[in-house]
Amino acid sequence: MTSFTRQRLIGLTLFLVLSALAIWLQSRWFGAMLRLSFLSGWILFVLILALTFYNGRKKLPFLPLLSSQAWLQFHIYAGLLTGVLFAVHVSYRLPSGWFQGTLAALYVLVMLSGFFGLFISRALPKRLTARGGEVLFERIPAIRRELQDRAEALALKSISEAKSATIADFYSRELKVFFESQGNFGLHLLEVSSPLNRVLNRIKDLNRYLNEQERSVLEQIALLVRQKDGLDYHYALQLVLKTWLFVHIPLTYSLLLFTLVHIVLVFAFSGGAR
Amino acid sequence: MKEQLPSPDFDSGQYARPNQNWICGHTGEGKPCRIGPDQKGRCRASFECQPAFELKEGETKGRYRCTRSAQQGGPCNLGPLPTGACSRPIPKCVPVRSLRAKRGLFTVSVVAFTVGVLLLGLSRPFRARFVSPGELSAQHGTATFAAMAGAAGNHDASCAACHQAAPAGLSGWVKSAMAATPAPLQFRAMAAVGRAVMTSLDDRCQRCHTGHAFHQPNVAKDHSCSACHQEHRGPGPMHAPSDDNCISCHASAEAMEASFAVGRAQPAIAFDYRPEQGRVLFKAPRPERGYTKIIHSFATDHPQFQVLADKLKDLDTLKFDHQLHLTNVALPNGKKLNCSDCHKPDAAGVYYLKISYEENCKSCHPLQFDVDNSGLVLPHGDAAHVRDFVRSLPEQYADFGAKKKENASRHDLENFVQKQIKQIREQLGSGEELEQRIFFSDARTAPVARIGERGAVGAARFPGCAYCHEVAPSGNEVPQVTIPTIPDRWLIRARFDHGKHFKVACATCHDTEHSRQTSDILLPSKQTCAACHSEQGGVAHDCSTCHGYHSPRKEQRTIQAAR
Repeated sequence: MTSFTRQRLIGLTLFLVLSALAIWLQSRWFGAMLRLSFLSGWILFVLILALTFYNGRKKLPFLPLLSSQAWLQFHIYAGLLTGVLFAVHVSYRLPSGWFQGTLAALYVLVMLSGFFGLFISRALPKRLTARGGEVLFERIPAIRRELQDRAEALALKSISEAKSATIADFYSRELKVFFESQGNFGLHLLEVSSPLNRVLNRIKDLNRYLNEQERSVLEQIALLVRQKDGLDYHYALQLVLKTWLFVHIPLTYSLLLFTLVHIVLVFAFSGGAR
Repeated sequence: MKEQLPSPDFDSGQYARPNQNWICGHTGEGKPCRIGPDQKGRCRASFECQPAFELKEGETKGRYRCTRSAQQGGPCNLGPLPTGACSRPIPKCVPVRSLRAKRGLFTVSVVAFTVGVLLLGLSRPFRARFVSPGELSAQHGTATFAAMAGAAGNHDASCAACHQAAPAGLSGWVKSAMAATPAPLQFRAMAAVGRAVMTSLDDRCQRCHTGHAFHQPNVAKDHSCSACHQEHRGPGPMHAPSDDNCISCHASAEAMEASFAVGRAQPAIAFDYRPEQGRVLFKAPRPERGYTKIIHSFATDHPQFQVLADKLKDLDTLKFDHQLHLTNVALPNGKKLNCSDCHKPDAAGVYYLKISYEENCKSCHPLQFDVDNSGLVLPHGDAAHVRDFVRSLPEQYADFGAKKKENASRHDLENFVQKQIKQIREQLGSGEELEQRIFFSDARTAPVARIGERGAVGAARFPGCAYCHEVAPSGNEVPQVTIPTIPDRWLIRARFDHGKHFKVACATCHDTEHSRQTSDILLPSKQTCAACHSEQGGVAHDCSTCHGYHSPRKEQRTIQAAR
């Protein structure tokens, strides 16, 4: 059993046991333990705080606080556990009122964005690996520029070597925009390759009008087109992998703020009542 | 499977700095400068190199040498300017934030927005609506309640009717929260199990709802109102308390013992309440220990209904035989009597209408004392009227004859009266004897034994008041006929809705076919109820299905049951 499998097994077991315990405590003690919801609320708050600290942990890699993988596993299973605790805390009822409604909506959004993040962090890396052409996200603009420069150089070279502007014209007409921009974002996410096929078909169509020397140049340009498409693919998927946190993290802080006010309101207004 | 692309070539000497807040504005074009912006996002681009001054041996002037790195293409062709400056300036840019910095900025913006929303929501004009966890119940959400609380049109004051901290504002709420009992960090107190004690919130309830007298006088310690009554759950009626609320006391031996001790010192009259809007209640005597048995649920240890457990008797003086009526009586249409022929539901269908002679008995039991004059009947409801009727029999016959024979002459009427009086004297004796028979005879002493058989010409319908009623002589006065009092409610500490049980046949719960005595109380046992009202039965079986916490006030008419 690998370390990851063991961590996953431990996490899943703990999640199931603690969830069952929370549900049992709610059903068994809800009436007798009058302030059970206070306790479940506190546990929920502490768990959310611990989950939030995962973001801080990533900024402090030098601290000997378990591996990032262990933290991620904790983040996933503790996050799932908050779902159960939340349901127990609200006694399986939909909260009402502006404040509580917003608080619940924030929690649900954070939870859903977490699920989305979990899904894409599992699914997209597999797609990226299958596609190949591994590249760091930050390097993509520079590599794209380099591919563009190389393609332009080949197009110019074909003029002097083949004494013909056919490839150069084709480049400026069909390929210049393709190399300059990050295109087909949505289609790459949906794993649609028709834009690439369209460009390659046009290159193929052009091939019949070229001499041997030009065909060799066009072949090199076609290779660059494939690399550029792969780069766009990486850009689209990696951008999604990075931007889902634009929802998850800010909403988490909003959730914490609302939770703090919620705690104050509950204790101030309940007067000790349940 | 698609062909896997090779990783693109990249000069690893180019450092991307993804963790810095600012990156070169030319990054998007794929040509960032090497130095990048400073920490404050200012462009630091100047020249491609800083030429180095070299002075060789023997030279006096020296010369500048290009120091551009090999990664940038090595020394340039132009070389430094004579002034020593680089001849290749780097184009300036407008630095942009890195993706990470953008996320940080977005996060800060969202947090600031959240703080703004909270401050706005918690500001005085909006806070009452903003923090309210839901609409109030019908009882507390009305303008009348707000007016009672002195808060008409003022939401803050309306909240303050129950929540002491409401008008204090955010800082006051923090103080109140810290001073709450239990305080925010008193986890042991939060985990306490047991009876819900009164809280400051409950104290506010008691401003209008005085004390706990509305439950039982033997409540040993006040129970928290808000533990049972959850507010802000919507505009309908307040939600019924759960069984947990009830058994927090009723399943506690300590609480019940304390309750017994308190109840023992109370006079019986203290427990005598239960208005039912004019209904006649059957009141069972209070058990020696009161109602302090330990109860966890209806199906398990709820005691048998007291009327059955103590074998109490119905004290009504009316003589009625359910078995006889349901088995031996045939209606003119040939059918037998049904329960519903006499017991009619009220408009709401919850209870049944009162049984009355006029509505339920008269059609079969007209007070016809004369065999030959079926339309001449005794009055019902007042013994004095009956006696007056009997003592004025000639006049009654005269009136009856006049109605019966509209065009008859006076002479004919006199003859009719004389004839009828003669006949009745022959049948029943003197006037005094007739009066005695009418009041005191029962079926066995009546002229005929067949009672109430409709349409049987010649049969006396009326055997005597004592056939149905308890009649006692009173010297020369009018005999005393005890007025029957039929209870409308038997289990007066619980609610019952007949309308909800319309699918159940009457005989399933009420054993009428074996009842021959009025004193039989034909209530179903607890087990009969629990067959449906239990977990196994699948029908609601929580305490509030039958019981209400709040006891009504005194009732005027009651029947004290006897063992």
